[in-house]
Amino acid sequence: MAEILVLDDVLDAVVLVKKVLTREGHHVRTFTEEQEAIDHVARHRVDLAVLDIKLKKMNGIQVLEEMKKLNPELRAIMLTGYPTLETARTAIELGAGEYCVKPIDILELKEKVAEVLTR
Amino acid sequence: MSPDTHFIENDYLKVFQEVTRLISSVHDAQEVMDLVVRRLPALLEVDAATIRLFDRGTNSFVLGAAWGVSDEYLSRSTIDTDEVMSALLSGRPTARKNIDVSCDHDNCAFISKEGVKSAMSLPIIYKDQITGLLRLLTKDRREFAQAEINFAMSLAEQVGLAIATCQMFQELENQVRFFSAQREISRLVNSTLNLEQILEAIVEKLPGIMGVKGCTIRLLQPATNRLELVAASGVSKKYLTRGSINREDSIFKVLKGEPVAIYDAANDPRVNYHAEIREEGIRSILAVPITNDQEIIGVLRLLSAHHRSFSANDTHFAVTVAEEGGNAIEKARLYRKISLLFNQIEEHERFLQTILDALWLELLVIGPDQRIIMVNKHFLARHGRREEEVLGQRYPSVSPWHDATGQHSPLEQVLRSCKPRTVVKQYQEADRERWFERQLAPIINGQGAVDFVIEAVHDITDQVLLEQEHSQRMKLQGVIEMAGTAAHELNTPLFAALGTAQLLRDDVADPEMSAEMDLVINNMKKMAALTREMIKVTGFSSNAYVGSTRIAALQSNAKPSTS
Repeated sequence: MAEILVLDDVLDAVVLVKKVLTREGHHVRTFTEEQEAIDHVARHRVDLAVLDIKLKKMNGIQVLEEMKKLNPELRAIMLTGYPTLETARTAIELGAGEYCVKPIDILELKEKVAEVLTR
Repeated sequence: MSPDTHFIENDYLKVFQEVTRLISSVHDAQEVMDLVVRRLPALLEVDAATIRLFDRGTNSFVLGAAWGVSDEYLSRSTIDTDEVMSALLSGRPTARKNIDVSCDHDNCAFISKEGVKSAMSLPIIYKDQITGLLRLLTKDRREFAQAEINFAMSLAEQVGLAIATCQMFQELENQVRFFSAQREISRLVNSTLNLEQILEAIVEKLPGIMGVKGCTIRLLQPATNRLELVAASGVSKKYLTRGSINREDSIFKVLKGEPVAIYDAANDPRVNYHAEIREEGIRSILAVPITNDQEIIGVLRLLSAHHRSFSANDTHFAVTVAEEGGNAIEKARLYRKISLLFNQIEEHERFLQTILDALWLELLVIGPDQRIIMVNKHFLARHGRREEEVLGQRYPSVSPWHDATGQHSPLEQVLRSCKPRTVVKQYQEADRERWFERQLAPIINGQGAVDFVIEAVHDITDQVLLEQEHSQRMKLQGVIEMAGTAAHELNTPLFAALGTAQLLRDDVADPEMSAEMDLVINNMKKMAALTREMIKVTGFSSNAYVGSTRIAALQSNAKPSTS
């Protein structure tokens, strides 16, 4: 049972991820605003952050960087609909456990989450 | 008449006959004078005789011939007392004894040293003009009787007549010779436009014709307006390099157009360098101006090895030759200038052609009559033509770019408007299409008309192809970027829809409903695979194309999807 944070600018996407991971028994909090998500990390225990890269005001990499400052142990999976080498490399450098390209199969998502949480 | 008188008159008659016979036998004035001074002393029982001729150039008497006295005596500057000279110039003879004692001039020492005691001085008159002096000298003190003086006077008249006759004869002879010589010199100097040959012809021919030892020509240099020696004959290098003569009086006069005849050059103040003149053995000089169209362009000098009183005919001949020479010299100078200009023009043309040939473009220069004036090597090489085939030909027959169907060709438009024009056009060449940029620029003269048109033609095929490729690439890049953006925008909703469908599928128990959900999921997965491919394409790389330009390599970057 892990505390999981999901951040995406598209509400449908966070709802879906929440459904998938809740069924796996995790406790999931969803956000569509970057700052709210960062604030949540500052105040609560979070084991894993599932972050979209393309957001509203910031990008997922910047959000991850801020969250890592607040919680260096935080694990993360990056989701993106537009993968680039640059964002993938930076995400890995910042400690992201996976870099997944949308649309990801929910089975694959479950496996990646499980894998990252066990590391 | 007493027997003595008769005897004396008889003697005088014999002497007179003898003198007349002698002087009639020669036709040379110098020979007459030499003969008279040599034979007269014995006939008249005197010790010496001298003849001096009146030189109009210096207004003085110059030595013609002498016998029985030394050169030193003859070289004295004063001949006799003012009284005697005055009498002689008035046409009256004088006879004096004790001239070594009663001497009132500054050359008495010469007379004493020579031992001359008495002198009879007689004017030589011809046609009421004093043309010279005949002096009879004795070294004993002798009183000349009036009869002797009268007799000597008639002899002097005879001598004057003989000298004048001989001079006239010589002048006539000279004139005939001069005419012939003038014709020859004229032929020589007009047969060439080579300045050196003309100058050489004059200095080599003239001395022989005029009976002098040498000749020099000095020309005024336009840049400095100073005389410069340009040709010489018959004199040594040492003499020629004695120094400048620009400030000599004789030169000043000649440069004003006045010929100058100098009888005694070694002592005459009108020339400098007396020692050098003496050393060179020059006795007399005739200097005349060299003219061309009344403009004095130089000085010609004739140098005589013997004392010579140049006659009017001598001077006239020398002036005529100098005039003829002056015209030829000026013509040769003009020819030289023109030749130099031509050479310069040719050199400029070669320089220009070298530059035109070095240009990596095809170049034609066309005249207002549309004929080719100049063409560069690049044009000839590209079209396999030879220069002689192209020059002078009409533009339409030479230019591969001329459009025979067009109403007004670009060349005609430039000729008409006097304005430059640039044309870019595609031409089919063998199996390949080529693009050319033609720049036609007019050269306008002072009257505002077109002198030439310069057509420079660049092959811009590579550039055009490059631009086309660049344009295509930009379009393609736009399409790719749009595809990438669309794929990205599709991915998130597709993720939500696919995930939701998969969750629903897990919840459905009815097999028929499950099959339908699988159909939806599979189709969504196909769409997902498609958007993945689209995303991969947007990460295109490039391959080398032309120069520094690169183009997209789409296929090589599209990898098969893994999910």
